[in-house]
Amino acid sequence: MEANMTIDIKDETFENEVLKSKVPVLVDFWAPWCGPCIMAAPVLEKIAGEYQGRLKVCKLDVDQARQIAIEHGIMSIPTLNIFKNGQVVDQIVGVTPRYESDLKKKIEPLLE
Amino acid sequence: MNDIVYDVIIVGAGPAGLAAALYTSRDRLKTLMLEKLMPGGQITTTDRIENYPGIERIEGPTLIEQMQKQVTNFGAEIKNGSEVTKLEKLKNSQFIIYCDQDKYAARAVILAPGSSYRKLGVPGEEEFRNAGAGVSYCGTCDAPFFRGKHVVSIGGGNTAVEETLHLAKYADKVTMIHRRDEFRASKVLVEELLAKANEPNSNLIIKYNAVAAAIQGKDRVQSVRLKNVKTNKEEDYSCDGVFIFIGMVSNTDFLKGFVELTDRGFIKCDCAYLRTSVPGVFVAGDCRAGAAMQLATAVGDGVVAAMMLKEYYRNPAWWKEPVSDQFSPSGW
Repeated sequence: MEANMTIDIKDETFENEVLKSKVPVLVDFWAPWCGPCIMAAPVLEKIAGEYQGRLKVCKLDVDQARQIAIEHGIMSIPTLNIFKNGQVVDQIVGVTPRYESDLKKKIEPLLE
Repeated sequence: MNDIVYDVIIVGAGPAGLAAALYTSRDRLKTLMLEKLMPGGQITTTDRIENYPGIERIEGPTLIEQMQKQVTNFGAEIKNGSEVTKLEKLKNSQFIIYCDQDKYAARAVILAPGSSYRKLGVPGEEEFRNAGAGVSYCGTCDAPFFRGKHVVSIGGGNTAVEETLHLAKYADKVTMIHRRDEFRASKVLVEELLAKANEPNSNLIIKYNAVAAAIQGKDRVQSVRLKNVKTNKEEDYSCDGVFIFIGMVSNTDFLKGFVELTDRGFIKCDCAYLRTSVPGVFVAGDCRAGAAMQLATAVGDGVVAAMMLKEYYRNPAWWKEPVSDQFSPSGW
């Protein structure tokens, strides 16, 4: 597993990294004080590596990028929003018991 | 697949799995741990452990970090982000464990997959949860999103009490719904809860003998339908969020058809040597039948399973022997 395949984003970089991305983007709304968010991190790194070039995986710390989290109505973390052409097309809230399989099921149909 | 045959593969790196790995790796057994997320499991979401003997008070993540360091120092390998999808026993008694595209071989297996949040199973729960619209199972994760709001918490066990106290630090008002007329959580926690609820102008309200029959709202949670179990009277109780703390269910779906499970999904075992229905496969922790579901007992299970491994290596026929007071594990 390669480390740091994910991209950290802030309020200012959200538009360029996510909304204007040519490939679908998985945005992880997380925070350092959220145990399940930390636990889920290796799965997201793995997904970022496996789908490199076809899917971007971004991490958005809800304390650092408050505005974006509010705009997206985040009330629970981790929440993963999947963006395609600037629109939210799917969402996964919380860490499901079979997280990796569940994520892949959502991601696969969205890839070209 | 590489050619390594591990002496033991441990599925799940929570306290039970890590304790097992400590014993096996310290005994120079080639040990691999497969963890679907990161080590720790349920215990990482608690910030106060006060009932682990010898440690006055510690945070879950800190304890796990130390346990992890201890096992890797003795040579255990931990693979994070490795969700086990299937297990197979070959004719030569070796086990093959599948994780997505990878597979691993071992002489024996210890299952310690732990558990995940139990769902309430009422209308509205799935819908609002999936929409991220006000249903949560983790107070430490989501309390900060409810600053200035009114939330309802459901449950009556230790986690429910701890998490409700945490919620009360953020939310404007917390209403705790409990289906009985007294709490079964540990006394220390209940005292703290009641003290908080009895403060003048407390933002914590407890409703006894009440259950949630439905979670309601337009686009986001706006109310809970409460039912009094004594009077059967129902009311719509307005709130901005619902936190559900009603226990855990074991993560054993992937084991169906491989080992025997109880009707409720726990892994069947002899409850003494922790042997399952499949020779060479042990179980440890919350996911086994008869588990006490405590940190210390999960750790104890891990140690027992690790010690019994050698009996199995030495004499596979031991698997069929009944639990006996003549028996004691040797070589430790």
